[in-house]
Amino acid sequence: MKFQIEEVTVYFPYDNIYPEQYTYMVELKRALDAKGHCLLEMPTGTGKTIALLSLITSYALAKTESPIKLIYCTRTVHEMEKTLAELKFLHNYQVKHLGAAAKMLAIGLSSRKNLCVNPTVSSAENRDSVDAACRKLTASWVRSMAAENPNQPTCEFYENYDRAAGGAVLPAGVYTLEDLRAFGKEKGWCPYFLARHMVQFANVVVYSYQYLLDPKVAGIISKEMQKESVVVFDEAHNIDNVCIEALSVSVRRQTLEGAIRNISRIENEIDRFKDIDAGRLRAEYNRLVEGLALRGDLSASDAWLANPALPDDILRQAVPGNIRRAEHFLHVLRRLVQYLKVKLDTDKVEKESPVSFVASINSDAGIDQKALKFCYDRLHSLLMTLEITDTDEFLHIQTICDFATLVGTYARGFSIIIEPFDERMPLIPDPVLQLCCHDASLAIKPVFDRFQSVVITSGTLSPIDLYPRLLNFHPVVSRSFKMSLTRDCICPMVLTRGSDQLPVSTKFDMRSDPGVVRNYGKLLVEMVSIVPDGIVCFFVSYSYMDGIINSWNESGILKDIMQHKLVFIETQDVVETTLALDNYRRACDCGRGAVFFSVARGKVAEGIDFDRHYGRLVIMFGVPFQYTESKILRARLEYLRDTFQIKEGDFLTFDALIDVMNIKLTDRNLNQRQAAQCVGRVIRSKADYGMMIFADKRYSRHDKRSKLPGWILSHLRDANLNLSTDMALHIAREFLRKMAQPYEKTGSTTGRKTLLSQEDVEKLGNNGAQEMLY
Amino acid sequence: MSSGQVTKRVKYKTSVKDAGTPGRLSLVKERLVFRPNNPNSASKLDMQFKYITNHRYTKEGSNKAPMLNLTSNQGASYIFEFESYEDLHICRDFVGCANLMKFGHKGVAELLHRQQKLQILELIRKFIQNNPAEMICSSVQGCCKTIDYVLHSELQKLHQQFVGGGVLTEAEFWATRKKLLEKDANRKAKQRGGLKSSVLAESKPFIDGRTNRVTFNLTPEIVREIFSEKPAVHRAYLNFVPSKMADKDFWTKYCRAEYLQRSKNIAAAIAEAAEDEELAIFLKPDDILANETRRKIRRVDPTLDMETDQGDDYSHLPDHGIFRDGSKEVAESGNELYQRTLLQDLNRHAAVVLQGTPIDEEQLKDTQTVAEALERSKQERSTASKDDESSADQERLKGISQAMTIDDLRGSNDHHLAPLWIKDPRDYFDSRQASSVKTSIEATKGTMSSHESYGLLRESISQIKSMGLNHPVVASEVAQKVLSVLTHNISSTKYNLGKKPGESLLDSLPTSVRDELLHHHISIEELMKHFWSSYPITNKYLNTKVTKLKDEMSKMDSQLQKLKEAVQPDIRHQITLLIRPMQQALEAAMQHYDAEQQKRASKAREKPNGYS
Repeated sequence: MKFQIEEVTVYFPYDNIYPEQYTYMVELKRALDAKGHCLLEMPTGTGKTIALLSLITSYALAKTESPIKLIYCTRTVHEMEKTLAELKFLHNYQVKHLGAAAKMLAIGLSSRKNLCVNPTVSSAENRDSVDAACRKLTASWVRSMAAENPNQPTCEFYENYDRAAGGAVLPAGVYTLEDLRAFGKEKGWCPYFLARHMVQFANVVVYSYQYLLDPKVAGIISKEMQKESVVVFDEAHNIDNVCIEALSVSVRRQTLEGAIRNISRIENEIDRFKDIDAGRLRAEYNRLVEGLALRGDLSASDAWLANPALPDDILRQAVPGNIRRAEHFLHVLRRLVQYLKVKLDTDKVEKESPVSFVASINSDAGIDQKALKFCYDRLHSLLMTLEITDTDEFLHIQTICDFATLVGTYARGFSIIIEPFDERMPLIPDPVLQLCCHDASLAIKPVFDRFQSVVITSGTLSPIDLYPRLLNFHPVVSRSFKMSLTRDCICPMVLTRGSDQLPVSTKFDMRSDPGVVRNYGKLLVEMVSIVPDGIVCFFVSYSYMDGIINSWNESGILKDIMQHKLVFIETQDVVETTLALDNYRRACDCGRGAVFFSVARGKVAEGIDFDRHYGRLVIMFGVPFQYTESKILRARLEYLRDTFQIKEGDFLTFDALIDVMNIKLTDRNLNQRQAAQCVGRVIRSKADYGMMIFADKRYSRHDKRSKLPGWILSHLRDANLNLSTDMALHIAREFLRKMAQPYEKTGSTTGRKTLLSQEDVEKLGNNGAQEMLY
Repeated sequence: MSSGQVTKRVKYKTSVKDAGTPGRLSLVKERLVFRPNNPNSASKLDMQFKYITNHRYTKEGSNKAPMLNLTSNQGASYIFEFESYEDLHICRDFVGCANLMKFGHKGVAELLHRQQKLQILELIRKFIQNNPAEMICSSVQGCCKTIDYVLHSELQKLHQQFVGGGVLTEAEFWATRKKLLEKDANRKAKQRGGLKSSVLAESKPFIDGRTNRVTFNLTPEIVREIFSEKPAVHRAYLNFVPSKMADKDFWTKYCRAEYLQRSKNIAAAIAEAAEDEELAIFLKPDDILANETRRKIRRVDPTLDMETDQGDDYSHLPDHGIFRDGSKEVAESGNELYQRTLLQDLNRHAAVVLQGTPIDEEQLKDTQTVAEALERSKQERSTASKDDESSADQERLKGISQAMTIDDLRGSNDHHLAPLWIKDPRDYFDSRQASSVKTSIEATKGTMSSHESYGLLRESISQIKSMGLNHPVVASEVAQKVLSVLTHNISSTKYNLGKKPGESLLDSLPTSVRDELLHHHISIEELMKHFWSSYPITNKYLNTKVTKLKDEMSKMDSQLQKLKEAVQPDIRHQITLLIRPMQQALEAAMQHYDAEQQKRASKAREKPNGYS
């Protein structure tokens, strides 16, 4: 459908639109008009992404005089693929209605690992080895060597791309990673470098958060984005964590050992170079004297991970004299590693501020703050001079230099915490020195400063006024939308007892009770026989899941489950989990039906949707608690209180933790973000439906239950608060039968429209949206 | 058995509670003979099957001993207790078949009327399987004939018509139907079972408390599961057995490895694997599987591929990011090489079940055949799958983008369907009526006089003339309307037919005419079958047969003509339409016959000239 929002004609690829999508677009348009940032919350299952994409692309089409670029950030690659699929759908629609004028270039960008088409490189195990293998073939010195020596292997895809030079362009269209690979294969061009090159010209770029937030990556990828861009962070409820992780480093024993090995290897290389090409080292020294840490004209294939500090904080100064010479720099590194080693050798938890830490490095190891600050650039320059291509071997020393640079750059917003062991396993010594960032606003500040509009949106951003304080920005629009449902399409239940009326819980003292294990099993056995297609089960931890599945297997419960549905399980191996998920979907698609066992804080819970028939029922076995005694969390709370006047209580309710500072009775608390994650992804649209069972007696307590997201609570009827297995079974049957009935999609029977047609929208446009909806 | 004779050890009893006389029961073609072990015993028995009217037997799985109870026509019952159910089943089938033959055509027909077709077919099939052809051929054929005969009452008519009329001989008539039963048998065997969804191989080892012995129980079905889930074990089996080790040794080793695996004693497993390289094969991670995984991960649905996330995550370079904030779980690292968890096994099992590895039930005999059959089916699949893999991928990708769309936002594509409202049946019927009324109104609105529609057509033609051919020449709705109205009068039948489901042209004809038509159709089909199968004519016998058939065909032709003329004029058009294909078939055959005849005649003339 096609409609006007003020002067912008919006092309929306469906015949109908939800009212909340419409208002969402109106608000978004105002933010774009004001060239400011905005914060929008709208529940999942209301088609946020498509509303966002169609408004922004339509906006760009309407304002041809000052074209805006869309930078769309997702948390993961698979979310990126989903976004691109929706964009493709939208693009097809726009081209159909507007013709060639609507043509645009949209690309998804990822790492070499996901884009490389060279069979010898892409077969490497992990990302670092793919990067290194690529560098071995494409680094500038390797290529110049190949020009003289035909036996020197190079990458034909890169060579072809390089030869085509300016001619290597992507025609307009929407490119997923697979499309990019296919295009690269067909043309014989390297898709990774082509995509990186095209990022400057594309109308829409979709990539992961880190490409904008993590200075290490953003420094090379997102350097040249224009100011007239709209940056969207989708599913942004965890954005503060991404920000602080981007600026945090931890050093463990293995790191230090690896760093020592790296240093000796660099030493050997230096000696070798002294013999064959001493001039090169001298040239580097001269360059450093002139104040250039790096040559200005680095070719794209030489680019390494950039400086871990934020661009504004990097000093444009000459590298200090005491680390200019390669040998001297290595001595500094050695002393630093030695110092950290001593620090790590402690038997009690220590917390320090960066200032005092730097001071003690200075007094104990004789390394001043400025030298620390330049560590990363100096290392980078050295590795380039030494023409080292197997960069994956040098990750450890790189970590140490990242650490040094960060600690030397930032005096506040960070702290250094040394823990001799994990507090949950005090018997296993595993000392770790963590430089952790507490201030999420640090990493995101350059983004707010650089770009015209930044849109932060998610299904759950409440309390919505906390985000501007956490991220330190001033939104021009900050709105939270409610979902209007046509029918009660979600059915949450709290199950407190098994069929034998004994309470069920994952509380520590009941966890291994065979009665609880059996009751949980019986619940699932009953449910698999009545629920169609897919069922997802979440457990509180891997170890608990492992234990319960083993005992179900021994007692034959698993066999009973398999009578009805196939069983797939999340494991700690990502590849295996992905395949299991893929098979799970196949099983649901073909009608066989399946159960997926997953972990509440695992990767699956974080980002996989179980919408439509992939998740008709979600069972949450137990209450997922976050371990709140963590030193890092404490330190962060303290910092937030001191700097932003955010009370611990505020943040903790926000993070859905009970105020640990005041209530000492419980040290484990329910994490709302987690619970919402697990169950919140069952609804894709208003036509979808799903059930949720919270199987733990503690959910019937008000204080725990109230931590569940509001949209679930609003559907949780009092009658469903204290169920036993047989009652839950009865309710589930009733619910499924009810959902099978046809219903009036537009919701006109209930008085308020939940679906708008073309006419409705036009009427809205005339009357002003506000009156009708609110 | 193969000699057509069955001899089993039995106990002969006169009543169920009787202790019974041990002896041998022999079943031969037409009689059964019981000889007691003690030659002095009085309870000898020698009777013909034809006196037996009924037989009963105990069901397998009941607690009772396997017994067969035969009832004679005098009402006496003879009970035989067998040593095993297997024996019982063989004898039961034999008796059953013998019974069948005794009944003769008439008896079978009777049985058939008592709705026992399936039992009889089953009996016959078993009988055919178990006995050599020659011995029972004639009798079974007799049975088959009868069954066919009764099953198809049309066949009966045909039989009368052609065999009775001397057009075909008995043998010729049945020759074309020999395969009828076999086809039936084949169809049944075609259904092939996949893997069971429960994990068989996980069945617990049996441990008796006294000794240190652990017993694993392996059936061919379990073996099949092991092979399809663990391709490395399968490969090892094909490589080692029987060239390097015996079947039994192989499985002993396998079970040993499984036991070590399950006892979670990793140290012991490593120690044993170091000593025994074959054992190590079972303990090592499966390299074939690993390859397969690598291949599969590339074709996984990109919207849930978490592996690519890992490849894109620069924040979690080793040691970057926050390591210990309490949210991540501590992974216990062990000896990777020898760790295979139950969870992995379950995933693998479910994946294999989903994939499906069909094997015929008969192949589940011993491990060797299972291994080979699986290998074959794998090869078949790999050759077949290579071609359609890419297209399947395409389809999946299309499916993904479809899944991305939001269903209820799309415009409703009207199918004129009444919504199924189960809550209140009255609503449902009301709404249906309403919608049918609506459509009928629309229909009346839609009809125009032929004059009008002709005008419309002319108008659009002139429009094209003036404007040139634009993309759609005529709006498709207009075109359809014009066409339908113009052709309405040409063939009202065509217009009316097929509009309503469940109504066919045949139903509208009078029953007598319809039956006659059907009968003609079948008999022409039969004639054609015989006619065309007798070409090329190689001997005199065929020649005469063809001549006879030809006469019959011309008779049929005239009959059709008569039928056509006899019917009422209002349905004559339909009848003609129905008869036309039959007549065409007859004509074609006749033409062929004439041409052939001429050729033969000319050949016959040539020959004498050439030779003499």
